[in-house]
Amino acid sequence: MPRRNWILYATMFASLALGAAAWELAGHLTSDAFWAPLSTTLKSLGEVVHNGVLLRQAASSFELYLTGLALAVVVGAPFGVLLARITWLRVALEDYIMMLYATPMVALIPFILSMMGFGFAPKVLVVFLFAVFPVLYNTVEGARSVRPELIEVAHSFRSGEWALWRDVMIPYTLPFAMTGIRQAIARGLVGMVAAEFFLSPSGLGQMIMMGSQNFDTASMLAAILIMVLLGVGLMDIGLYLEKRFAAWRGYNP
Amino acid sequence: MKPRIEVRGAGIRFGALQVFRGIDLEVGEREVVAIVGPSGCGKTTLLRCINGLIPLTEGEITIEGEPLAAPREGVAMVFQHFGLFPWKTVFQNVAYGLRLAGASRAEIADKAQKFIDVVGLTGFENYYPYQISGGMQQRCGLARALSVAPRVLLMDEPFGAVDAQTREILQFELLSIWETRPTSMVFVTHAIDEAVLMGDRVLVLKGSPSAVHEVVDVQLPRPRNRATLLHPRFAELREHVWQTLMADARKAEFKVTQ
Repeated sequence: MPRRNWILYATMFASLALGAAAWELAGHLTSDAFWAPLSTTLKSLGEVVHNGVLLRQAASSFELYLTGLALAVVVGAPFGVLLARITWLRVALEDYIMMLYATPMVALIPFILSMMGFGFAPKVLVVFLFAVFPVLYNTVEGARSVRPELIEVAHSFRSGEWALWRDVMIPYTLPFAMTGIRQAIARGLVGMVAAEFFLSPSGLGQMIMMGSQNFDTASMLAAILIMVLLGVGLMDIGLYLEKRFAAWRGYNP
Repeated sequence: MKPRIEVRGAGIRFGALQVFRGIDLEVGEREVVAIVGPSGCGKTTLLRCINGLIPLTEGEITIEGEPLAAPREGVAMVFQHFGLFPWKTVFQNVAYGLRLAGASRAEIADKAQKFIDVVGLTGFENYYPYQISGGMQQRCGLARALSVAPRVLLMDEPFGAVDAQTREILQFELLSIWETRPTSMVFVTHAIDEAVLMGDRVLVLKGSPSAVHEVVDVQLPRPRNRATLLHPRFAELREHVWQTLMADARKAEFKVTQ
């Protein structure tokens, strides 16, 4: 087994090294305005780290992203369980939720702009709208799939509605909600960039826009690289959380 | 003496489907009534009615002299598919009923452990249901029901989902547990020998809609144990109930749904 692992790691690093070499080569074979080599990109990254621009812009992006994502989870998960428990409410709202889930949220941005202008709030709304539907949808479907026998057990032991949520609905639904949150983590990141592009420019989105307008491809690629790393890191956290809360599902995924 | 459970003229109708009707049943303080019948005869539904989970459409149920409207304190059910919460450990599952009954932390720790010991799960307190066998899971379900000190114990085909050998072991353990703390027990099963082994009386449900076809007075000596299976009366009663049910069972098996 250790030998096999070693081969797998070697393959992974070889693949990453090959990608980096291709990036470098592509930069040298074309003009800098079209594609900057990896070395130039990293140098540009070093500069923005050094002069504090990256930290400031990343902090601004992160504030927007986390606010929108947190709202999506805080609203989406409890509302999802509520919809699963109250049939008439679910039937009344289900079609709207499906429509909004299916709508490409970017299409709503001009509308949000004309309604709410350029402040922080409309940008949070964009991140929220991108992130909330996967949380809501997965939570509703999860909470609806709770084994009726478990609800019957709770009633048999004279559980009230609140105790039923605490002991049955929430623990049962948590892994499903986490699946939704993991999707929301990815979609929220798209929402963050879209909001920074199309509403008032700020954060990492602004860095990409400015790099593009100034034909400064290196700083643009630097900002994109940071965003990729951020996305990968957040997805890993999401996966970890999902597994952590689904430990008891180990036998029945 | 007034019976602990009284069922009078019980009937259930789901829409156009009359499941059962006119069922009368009395269970004394230290009495076990087994209910046996073909699948779909409504025996499990009747048990849920006695638990207060489903309202009757006809008739009345009283427990300890009071009309039943919702699940009562002092009544506990053991479920066919165990009904354990997969995210709770054995200990937490057993503690569930006590917690909902508002027991103190010390009382929960004490009683839950006591009944984990009674059903023989000592040492498995921190296992999750998926880590233990079906038989052990039902032991856990039994401990959960016993821990609230029920005066009425409702058993919904409790050994229907475990293998044949485990089933025999659990039957005799349940009998010996019942001997040390006898209560009113209603035991639903589709296994004829199990019904005769457990019950002081066996209620045979039959027909469509089903009704009480016969009440068999078992009169086998207690305590019951493996020797009971060798008792001539056991064989005789089993054969009698078998003849009553099996004549219809073949008809039911070959019935084509219209």
